[in-house]
Amino acid sequence: MTKETLLEIKDLHACVGEKEILKGLSLTIPMGEVHAIMGPNGSGKSTLSNVIAGHPAYEVTGGQILFKGQDLLAMTPDERANSGVFLAFQYPTELPGVGTALFLKTALNAKRRFQGFPDLDAVGFMKRLKPRAQALGITDDMLKRPVNVGFSGGEKKKLETFQMAFLEPDFCILDEMDSGLDIDALRTVSEAVNVMREAHRSFLLITHYQRLLDYIVPDYIHIMVNGRIVDSGDKTLALKLEEKGYEDYK
Amino acid sequence: MKITNNLCLITQDGQTKTVNVSSEGLRLVVPDGKELNLSALVFDGTFSVRVVLAGAEAKCRLSCVYLSGRKSENKIRFDVQHQAGNTYSEQIVRGILTDRAKASFEGTIRIPKDSQKCDASQNHRAVVLSDAASVTAIPELEIYADDVKCAHGSAIGSLDKTQLFYLMSRGVPADVAKKMLLRAFVRDVLDDSFEKYVDEWMGEHA
Repeated sequence: MTKETLLEIKDLHACVGEKEILKGLSLTIPMGEVHAIMGPNGSGKSTLSNVIAGHPAYEVTGGQILFKGQDLLAMTPDERANSGVFLAFQYPTELPGVGTALFLKTALNAKRRFQGFPDLDAVGFMKRLKPRAQALGITDDMLKRPVNVGFSGGEKKKLETFQMAFLEPDFCILDEMDSGLDIDALRTVSEAVNVMREAHRSFLLITHYQRLLDYIVPDYIHIMVNGRIVDSGDKTLALKLEEKGYEDYK
Repeated sequence: MKITNNLCLITQDGQTKTVNVSSEGLRLVVPDGKELNLSALVFDGTFSVRVVLAGAEAKCRLSCVYLSGRKSENKIRFDVQHQAGNTYSEQIVRGILTDRAKASFEGTIRIPKDSQKCDASQNHRAVVLSDAASVTAIPELEIYADDVKCAHGSAIGSLDKTQLFYLMSRGVPADVAKKMLLRAFVRDVLDDSFEKYVDEWMGEHA
């Protein structure tokens, strides 16, 4: 049985300022699969994740992205999120003065309103929050602090993963989730991702290193060089890369 | 309800009072060892405060948020005179401007020659939401003593686009995200009791 397609990117071109970063990228991700994109610095991996999420600094100059069959590029960033797209940022933004708990509640209720549900009350909110916070080591103190302010690099990555678990998106992009994480934190975060692997949810992992893929084993690996996917294969591709680097693709 | 009155809370000697602010402004003297806390929310017109720190260990913290909408013209004037040595002052001002509003902040710190070991700071930040609105900051530092600490800064800009995007990427619609960030911008500076007036103003202007 063929799986239903969740995300389909066709011949995508995107620029930052005058510079073209994505140069005709195509990628299809079926439901329930984990795909990884690996590539050298400057190949456009982070640009791809930002374009999918709708970052205003990137201009799409050609191509198409279909998400659940809908034109993703026609949607605002909040519409994309509420339709099920989630980007765990490489460098999460600090929001001074915005309490983390209020932030989570606002985000969750925005999604519920978008889907036509009433806002969740305080009890429902805590019920949803507690077990996920515990699993990721998110303390009450962290929830009281402003979003990402005064958080260590590891805490920020945990909070990103926690937001993902909390909002239950259908498509999760993890942009260099492993950077700045020690081995214990990497294990905790990977475990949180693995428990979310379900038939209706897909993941796109963006990483430099094979290490992350030991913890979150992908179904497919794509190699990205100079704004395009140049090779795809199963998880053994990462081992080949580890050995030979990106030289063959340049 | 229409908000027209400027609000000002003053805490001195442990007692808090609400003060009606006239355009002539306030003049307050802080004697030695005493502390003055002033928190003001200003919607329109001129708000002017002069403080004299009259004796050693006198302290003042002046905080003000101005919310300027439509065609309002706001003038915020803080003037702190460090009459004695070993006195401390802090001026914190945050502003939000929309439509065709105009605002200015004039902050003066005076430390005469004999007032050594003083610590004075002044910080002004404004968010301008419309191209037709404008804001000016005029810091005036008259420091004649040489053994003092003095810091001042002013920043005027639009809402942070990265912060806005981060909120939107979590599903928060643009207008809600904008209000969250504006509330956060003034929250640290303002007395909690003013929050409902800020919300009311945002509902109408932001």
